[in-house]
Amino acid sequence: MEKVLLKGNYAIAKAAIKAGCSCYFGYPITPQTEIGEYLSEAMPALGRGYVCAESEVAAINMVMGAVATGVKAMTSSSSCAIGLMQETMSYAASDELPVVLISVMRAGPGLGYIYPAQGDYNQAVTGGGNGDYRTIVLSPSTVQDSIDLTYKAFYLAQKYRNPVILLSDGFLGQMMEPAVLHDYPYDEIDNSSWALTGAKDRGARQIRSLEVNQEKQNAHVYKLFEKYALIEKEEVSYEEENTLDADILLVAFGSMTRNIKAAARKLREKGLKVGTFRPVTLWPFPSKRLLELSETIKNILVVEMNMGQMTKDVKLAVNGNAKVYHFGRPTGKWVNVDEIVQATLNLGGVSYANI
Amino acid sequence: MEKNIIIAGFGGQGILLTGTILANAFMLENKNVICCPCYGAEMRGGEVNCEVVVDDESEVCANKSEADIVIALNQLSFEKFITKLKKGGTIIANSSLVKMCKPRSDINYVFAMISEKAKELGDIKTTNMVSLGLLAQIEKLSLDTLQNAVKKVFASKSQKLLNLNFEALKIGSNCAYQS
Amino acid sequence: MQTFSIPKSLKENMIYTFCPGCDHGVAIRLIAELLDEFGLKENALTAASVGCSVFLYNFLDVDCVEAPHGRALACATGIKRAQPDKFVFTYQGDGDFASIGLAESTHAAARGEAITTICINNTLYGMTGGQLGPTTVLNQITTTSPHGRNREYHGFPLKMTEHIALCDGTAFAARVSLDSPAAIIKAKKAIKKAFEVQLKGLGFGFVEILSSCPTNWKMNPVESHKHIREELTKVYPLGTFKDLTEGL
Repeated sequence: MEKVLLKGNYAIAKAAIKAGCSCYFGYPITPQTEIGEYLSEAMPALGRGYVCAESEVAAINMVMGAVATGVKAMTSSSSCAIGLMQETMSYAASDELPVVLISVMRAGPGLGYIYPAQGDYNQAVTGGGNGDYRTIVLSPSTVQDSIDLTYKAFYLAQKYRNPVILLSDGFLGQMMEPAVLHDYPYDEIDNSSWALTGAKDRGARQIRSLEVNQEKQNAHVYKLFEKYALIEKEEVSYEEENTLDADILLVAFGSMTRNIKAAARKLREKGLKVGTFRPVTLWPFPSKRLLELSETIKNILVVEMNMGQMTKDVKLAVNGNAKVYHFGRPTGKWVNVDEIVQATLNLGGVSYANI
Repeated sequence: MEKNIIIAGFGGQGILLTGTILANAFMLENKNVICCPCYGAEMRGGEVNCEVVVDDESEVCANKSEADIVIALNQLSFEKFITKLKKGGTIIANSSLVKMCKPRSDINYVFAMISEKAKELGDIKTTNMVSLGLLAQIEKLSLDTLQNAVKKVFASKSQKLLNLNFEALKIGSNCAYQS
Repeated sequence: MQTFSIPKSLKENMIYTFCPGCDHGVAIRLIAELLDEFGLKENALTAASVGCSVFLYNFLDVDCVEAPHGRALACATGIKRAQPDKFVFTYQGDGDFASIGLAESTHAAARGEAITTICINNTLYGMTGGQLGPTTVLNQITTTSPHGRNREYHGFPLKMTEHIALCDGTAFAARVSLDSPAAIIKAKKAIKKAFEVQLKGLGFGFVEILSSCPTNWKMNPVESHKHIREELTKVYPLGTFKDLTEGL
């Protein structure tokens, strides 16, 4: 298929349509507004649902209502407004509803600004809602990924009946890059056993998280965690390059991956054995692979546009087998290749904190 | 090798469109390319710039740092982006709106009356296309590919408009300049 | 001859869990009767709310998703947009509808969503033990207004039906009570209209029901109904505030 030059946000919107998303509900916030703008034209033209919701709180609850009836639906938002949606993400996790949430990160905390950043790793991965639950988190690094992982988000949400977050960032959302808008590659999942279709020839179905019986609540959470264990077994996804002989591993997620790869190439030219690693699924996190790599690689530099949120997960993964360093800043100029090269050369020195 | 091209000017000068066409041209040549628009809150009259980063071999980085080439269509952009050029980089300046001065000695200058040329063609709105033609002349880009990129971006526009833009590209590609 | 029977839209053999004298039971029965009369049970979907009203799904044999507190009408909007051919309704309390969920409620009405909402107004937060709510009337004692609602200190209560009737997307808005057999008959007629406006695609249908809460009001059921009749209707007058079916 032909490549087209696509903005990251439009790529997500177009992919959602090809994935069969029946309804979109959203509220404007930069830097993701193009998704809602594009769909406001496209969805009604296709006879699908679109509501300019009164708030992000309403938008995510509209998604919850729509997916409860068995259709695919999504919303998109950014940082502080994703914060507003966390209550419903917890409900959806408990209700086992296939909510798809597109999160295009801007700078925080608080209102921050529209600069790109990666400070919502924790928000997406550990969740801001109450209780023991997990959301699947997919992290694109190119516009092509934005398409492929939007498809995957809908598929995994349906397959596991679990909320999925696509964690993009303002950089990736706003930039244009050639990509192929191929067809939705996954099989449709049969949800006739649980979707709300009207109590015809069967008793009424309830999708609910209120449970007044302690034992049942306990059992429900254990059941959720059996599912999470299955997802951790089946769905971990990552990308690695030149790790076989590497002494140093550069780790990044999202659009920062592009920069660690370029830095690794430069460092190889200087004679340093540097490999790169990128988790594609931020949850489930590729902890097992990182632990394996830490058998031979003893220095790991995690580069992220935040104060070390993923660094903590890398440390947990390698469990003391390797030294793990963080390099990044909360926002502003995207950490560039030369800075990463320099930070790598300084490893073990005093320039960068070992957190 | 990665090459970073910044196109900058007023809102309304077609900066983002120029970047999109240039990025499409690189895509048509199977290069890795990204195009990052950046603009202020103002829709018109505010400062707008667009970075096109192209790499023949590897995936393009999420870098927005030093530029190899700057196209400055107004004075403000000239002053702002001349500082972002790498040593040995090139600034293409629209001397219809930019004072001819050379504050740095480690870069190359290309001064041309871009807006005048567009006016001569009959539509000042083609300033951006003339500048793109000039870039093609300096950087030895294929005019055919640029025309194909214009066709791709203007898919729904009239043949008349296409021809006007093709003509503007050609004028830029033959345009005299002062270095 | 008419005989008393249990509506088919009610689940069988359910244990009644509301407090003695509470009007939830009557309200839910009216909804069930109307679902039967319109033949809607198999085609109905509901978004449950939070508060005592959540127990609707223990009694009604209708597919249901439980919305977070206040979000029933956002959730119902999602349902309706995904399944425009279904009959979609919410059953909410005044705290859920008019306090935490006022934005969702107002905008569903303003958009004219073809959804029916029945709102139980008992002038306080019942499930949590009777705290001051958006509809608590002046001088009313609650656990968080122990000396009564004070206009300087707590401000005034909110009038839901009047507010919803002002929205252009609202097709029907009425306030009813259940304090006597005659009132119940009137209430059923109002709920029927709120069903009809959805079925005819006229817009949002809304019925506020002044309901007793003997437990939290610390009154017996008879006193509770008297309180509705003699006190609450002074603040919250009964009647139809908007009806687009008139003249149809």
